[in-house]
Amino acid sequence: MNNTGVRKPRLSRTAAFILFCLLPALIPVLVLTYFPILKGIVMAFQNYSLFNLNDIRFIGFDNFRTVLQDPNLPTILKNTGLWVFISLILQFAIGFLLSLLLYRKFPGRGVYQGLIYYSWAMSGFLIGIIWRWMFNGQIGVINDLLLKAGLISERIGFLSDPKWAMFSVIVANIWYGVAFFAIMLTAAMQSIPEELFEAADMDGANGLQKMLHVIIPYILPTIITTTALRVIWIFNFPDIIYAMTNGGPANSTHILSTFMLDKIVFGGDYGLAGAVGVISIVLLLLYTLFYLFATKASKAGDF
Amino acid sequence: MRIGKKWFASTLLLVTALSSLTACGSGTSSEGAAGSGSTEPVKIRMIESLTSPARTEVLKQMVSKFEEANPGIDVELISPPLDSADTKIAQMLSSKADIDVLEVRDSTVKQFVTNNWIADLSPYTSKWSGYGTLNASAQMSANYIENKPYYIPYGLYEKILFYRTDWFKEKGLEAPKTWEELYAAAKAITDPSKNRYGYSFRGGKGADSYIVDMIRDYNGTNTNPEDAMFLKNGNTIFSTPEAKQALENHLNIYKDGSPKDSVNWGFAEMVEGFEAGVTGMLIQDPDVIDVVKQKMGEGTWSTAAIPAGPSGVTHYKVGAAGWGMAAHSEHKDEAWKLIEFLSSPEQNEFFTQKIGLIPVHTTASENEFYKTGYYKPYMDMNADAAHYIPVKPETDYKGFGEWRSIIQQDTQAIIFGRLSVDDALKKWDAYWLDQKKQGK
Repeated sequence: MNNTGVRKPRLSRTAAFILFCLLPALIPVLVLTYFPILKGIVMAFQNYSLFNLNDIRFIGFDNFRTVLQDPNLPTILKNTGLWVFISLILQFAIGFLLSLLLYRKFPGRGVYQGLIYYSWAMSGFLIGIIWRWMFNGQIGVINDLLLKAGLISERIGFLSDPKWAMFSVIVANIWYGVAFFAIMLTAAMQSIPEELFEAADMDGANGLQKMLHVIIPYILPTIITTTALRVIWIFNFPDIIYAMTNGGPANSTHILSTFMLDKIVFGGDYGLAGAVGVISIVLLLLYTLFYLFATKASKAGDF
Repeated sequence: MRIGKKWFASTLLLVTALSSLTACGSGTSSEGAAGSGSTEPVKIRMIESLTSPARTEVLKQMVSKFEEANPGIDVELISPPLDSADTKIAQMLSSKADIDVLEVRDSTVKQFVTNNWIADLSPYTSKWSGYGTLNASAQMSANYIENKPYYIPYGLYEKILFYRTDWFKEKGLEAPKTWEELYAAAKAITDPSKNRYGYSFRGGKGADSYIVDMIRDYNGTNTNPEDAMFLKNGNTIFSTPEAKQALENHLNIYKDGSPKDSVNWGFAEMVEGFEAGVTGMLIQDPDVIDVVKQKMGEGTWSTAAIPAGPSGVTHYKVGAAGWGMAAHSEHKDEAWKLIEFLSSPEQNEFFTQKIGLIPVHTTASENEFYKTGYYKPYMDMNADAAHYIPVKPETDYKGFGEWRSIIQQDTQAIIFGRLSVDDALKKWDAYWLDQKKQGK
């Protein structure tokens, strides 16, 4: 390439031009994503209370100490694990089943797809409020249906009984997230070339064999990418829990992201919230590294 | 390039993780650019906090009347969802977003003033004739911080007891005069087989004031009305045997006279429980009168004064919310014009009657509307100063926001047997002694 002994320019003209062209896209990302992240990390080490912004100062690891010494932290971490993994597995399983039903043409498919995808278009808070009323112990429709069906003899305090509360918020979250997998997996399945199915038919493959040897291998990159993304989103999704239980009763439904929100809404304490945020970032970093290497990132979508 | 793709994929996912986390933790301030320097008309933006569709509609009507009377001023009303409105307002103020008039509440005014977010209105109130006719509670609320008017209340909130007269008649009961009687009545009415319960218990968001009010009443005249988390001798209200009795009575009302679900109930569920015929008693602010009137037939319910503690004393807080001005507003004169208009005796009477609030002008208290019917208990309570003692809200303490969460979660923990009454009271006592030490 350049063997004349002249020093290679640090940045070629083409690369500089590309960088220049990227700036309009890069600047908003830097300002809107990286600056708040950096600010959040700095806040984690500060006394940063909304009630007195005139007294912002660095306090070292005090916020982390307060969070790690919180007696509710073990429950919160356990809840976060349950919330993410039960929600993910059932959202994926139901979404996958729906996508198997929806990806081939049949009369009225558009209507069915519309109905299933609808939940994805709604706000998390709204979904939380709707489910809060449905799970209401006295006037909720779920108790009424269970009573009428003879499945229970007395009303269940779905949101008021700590034994039921976590289950109830997870049910609402599963309902919400099914649409995401149904959409993504249906789209991936619709891109499977018809010849593969024809070949499978000629080989005499039955439905299960087609699923195992044609559908799943073909959509595997989508499965890996969507499940990885979904874990991050579920982890950072306080809306439903916040609207349904506010983290209660008696802190029994808090996850890290609702706990963080709680520190802001009630305490106005952005320092403590920042510390919870940094802990969350660390956990997510560990998870994404583990997940991507465990599933071989080269298969994770067509990058 | 396998490695390259791997790292690219990892980086992309990590960025997604980080950005979604940030989106969760901090508000996005996507407010438009300031509209300064525009010619005419001047545009001012106002934001409300205690939003509801019906209330927003009333506000819009008032804003339209204002715009008609002031053709040079356009008003844009912002109505965020109720649950996140105060956080949204705080974020807009801290980022100096384009806001001129805002709803200030007794629970937010301290924070707004400490951060220099809202303007002292004295230069305007000194020239406003309506300021002189504000009643004592409204004046006190307006001047609660630093003795300066930081907002003009649009109405006062004070709790009363709502009860089902038909159910009470069935059981031969009278409206309860003490908290013990309220417990007895709630227990008598409760019949889970009919899905009928005595009391709309508040165990969820906002439970704090119900617990604290009862504890104050049990402490009787020892409670210091000027600093009502404390007794006159300087100890906290949680340090006495009476506090334990009060908390136990509160828990018994839940256990024997309230729906199990109410451990999580907030405002909406309490009111819905009463309206839907699930509960026979409800303690709430006057804005509920109109809602209940619309849903329940005349003659099936009534209102009464708040029950008293064992010594016959009831403490009550007058809550307030009103209109304040952003300190950074570039259209202060126009903003004041709007506040003055909304706070005028005529507009205030219109607003309070539509929404169901206690009006702020002395001129309105002579109105028959408030002297009879469902509002009568307010007048009775205000007229009997020996038994009904107004107290200053504790909203000016720095730890007030955190306290609300602590007491709510702790009381739930007691209900589920995870915390003892004694330990909770000790914890709350220590919390308030610490607050006192830290100063306001």
